[in-house]
Amino acid sequence: MLPGPLALSSPAMTSLEEALRAIVGARHCLTRPGELLVYESDGLPGYHQRPSLAVFPGTRDELLAVMRVLAAHDAPFVARGAGTGLSGGALADGIALVGLQRLRRIIAIDPEARTASVEPGVVNAILTKAVAAYGLHYAPDPSSQTACTLGGNVAENAGGPHCLKYGVTNNHVVRATVALPDGSVLELDRGDEGGYDLLGAFVGSEGCFGVVVELTVRLTPNPDQVITLLADFPSVVSAADATSAIIAAGILPAALELMDQATIRAVEASIYAAGYPVDAAAVLLVEVDGAAAGLGDDAREIERLCLASGARGVRSATDAAERARLWQGRKKAFGAMGRIAPHLVVQDAVVPRTQLAALLTDIAAIGEQHGVRVCNVFHAGDGNLHPNIPYDASDADESARVHAAMSAIMRRCIEAGGTITGEHGVGLDKLPYMEQLFDAATLDAMCRLRSVFDPERRANPGKVVPVHSCKEWYSASNARAGSSS
Amino acid sequence: MVQRVERTRGVLVVTGAHRPADAPALAALLREAPARGATFRIVGNGEWLGAGHPVAATSERIELGAFAGIEQFRPDDLTITVGAATSLDALDRATAEHGLWCPLLPWGSNRGTVGATLATASDGPSSLFLGRPRDLVLGLEAVDGTGAHLRAGGRVVKNVAGFDLTRLLTGSWGTLGVITRAHLRLRARPQVDRTLALRTTSGAEEAELHGWMRGPFAPIAAVALSSPASLELPVAVGTTHLVRIGGNSAFVEASSAALASITPVESHGAGIWDVMRERLPQPDRALHWRDSVLGERLRDRFDPHRLLNPGILGVR
Repeated sequence: MLPGPLALSSPAMTSLEEALRAIVGARHCLTRPGELLVYESDGLPGYHQRPSLAVFPGTRDELLAVMRVLAAHDAPFVARGAGTGLSGGALADGIALVGLQRLRRIIAIDPEARTASVEPGVVNAILTKAVAAYGLHYAPDPSSQTACTLGGNVAENAGGPHCLKYGVTNNHVVRATVALPDGSVLELDRGDEGGYDLLGAFVGSEGCFGVVVELTVRLTPNPDQVITLLADFPSVVSAADATSAIIAAGILPAALELMDQATIRAVEASIYAAGYPVDAAAVLLVEVDGAAAGLGDDAREIERLCLASGARGVRSATDAAERARLWQGRKKAFGAMGRIAPHLVVQDAVVPRTQLAALLTDIAAIGEQHGVRVCNVFHAGDGNLHPNIPYDASDADESARVHAAMSAIMRRCIEAGGTITGEHGVGLDKLPYMEQLFDAATLDAMCRLRSVFDPERRANPGKVVPVHSCKEWYSASNARAGSSS
Repeated sequence: MVQRVERTRGVLVVTGAHRPADAPALAALLREAPARGATFRIVGNGEWLGAGHPVAATSERIELGAFAGIEQFRPDDLTITVGAATSLDALDRATAEHGLWCPLLPWGSNRGTVGATLATASDGPSSLFLGRPRDLVLGLEAVDGTGAHLRAGGRVVKNVAGFDLTRLLTGSWGTLGVITRAHLRLRARPQVDRTLALRTTSGAEEAELHGWMRGPFAPIAAVALSSPASLELPVAVGTTHLVRIGGNSAFVEASSAALASITPVESHGAGIWDVMRERLPQPDRALHWRDSVLGERLRDRFDPHRLLNPGILGVR
């Protein structure tokens, strides 16, 4: 049974609030509606939930004390980093919000071991900047990296364009200290020396297992050389075909991104204009990196494959500034949609790469059928689609058509053998699709896994797995006493 | 099932190997086990029977031979689905035909199964460079100790849907569930695949080699051999290293030249890696298991009656 939200002015609330203020000070414990407004949404404009309070510990000790107080009050809570998430995962519905962005210390950098230990509020791009002097960077690079935090990256198992070659967050976290909802503190690792991979289970658990207090991540040496190509295509299908051809040729680019015309035009009309051809039906942004020896051969092969798939032209970034500009356009594309319409829905389905051309054709047809504009900007190399639909949420008819289109697109992706989320997480937004993707036994197993970390379901309740999918389980002692299922 | 019934000190004891034909049969076997006090030893091809702490002697064998075979192979997607009892050999042959591999390449014999490799999370000489088992598995199907049939993860290369049962089961030594099927990530085999042996005889050379391995010429496999004679390599002063360089020909030439500038190198066929993996001792992580505070809770949730490989980790 889920604990209910604590009412704003009940005695229980005041006691919790007092206890939290005693730890962090009144300044860092917000309770007035006006102050809490900014925490009502994350990166998706369509969801609004107001927390009962928001507490911001400033040190590790304060965070642990906050967790103990929440446990003592049986209080459910939601942990939040920068609030850039795209699945409504960091929203608190009348319960406590624990903001981690004050915990932004980089605790230690070990250039020899190529690791860094950080607090969860450290911003992704700031870690990379901090280790640049050692010729290192932190590889997972979600598009929100100039704002998002490592703690949030862990919660979602964040990816980004360069995860095609370098892997996702789960491939880069080595150790984590986590605070469980019962107030206890635990060290998690991958079990490399003998043990369950509890860290692997924790990464991507969307704040439902506990709160990261500190994490140790792998750092990646900067590549010897980078070649960034922009290929211009007369159709989305030919760009998708080129993607499949590059992967099938055995080349592993560092990144392989696709943007369609609607996206290109939004970007080129914005301050992030990157010099993309506005008359192209689609572009591929392809990057290869590594030792200089042989890199040119890979780049030339990619160029040949693009042209063979029908590209009108392929050009190469001539210097670091141009490379940065091409990437900025890609990474800010989501923000550039704001020019088209006030609201946006975005999906994150992953499909087999060989299905890309077919899916993109179907997505276009679904868009037309529902009279909505679908913009595609996504990680083609992984098959990780991001169909975006800018629209005006105050137009009830358009909203209905947009949501119908998104459901149809998701259904099609699942039918094609894909998954509902490659990097943004399930959160609230994709809860309705979990039963299309997983059967009852598997969803129940996810509940059981969660119950190991958070038996009372106080950490980010109501997210990821539909609550009704969690059967009651017998406690170990009941089971061993012989009651059979 | 091959059964043997014995009367031991007046008590009838049934022992033998179960060979469930499919996941429902396996699930049924596990569900009816607590009522008769049975426990089980999970067996693929039997390559891992010597590892870990002793499993309870009265445990009945579950042999997973029916769960072998390449089930879905999409070379252009770089993914493959295999029954858990598929041997590493069979996986290798099927993928090699298309110039691909799943670089699990664990210590141990290629007769071992994919399921055992994942259940033990065995690494090998290429793991640091091409990925450990946890990095190469996209999804698993398993039957847990309650008889629940789980379908974790998926067949696509990026997936964060739901809580990560795939990572939970990988490296769990069968104590949380019996892996029946695996979806694996594939890579292209390198265009040029060159193996070189070299010997370092000074700290300076060791340091230079270390620098080469950590730099842009990083290999795809590397090992320092404590007993070169076991691979019919000459025994001499210093440490013998084997490295495997993979990439296009310009890369491999440049990488080899950089290595040769540290110390003389000698070419070997790629087959030496399979020989090495089989001959050199493999780490036994179950024997040195460090159980988390949460370990017992996990087993309580997924195998409350402790049916699966009881005792193998040396914990309750």
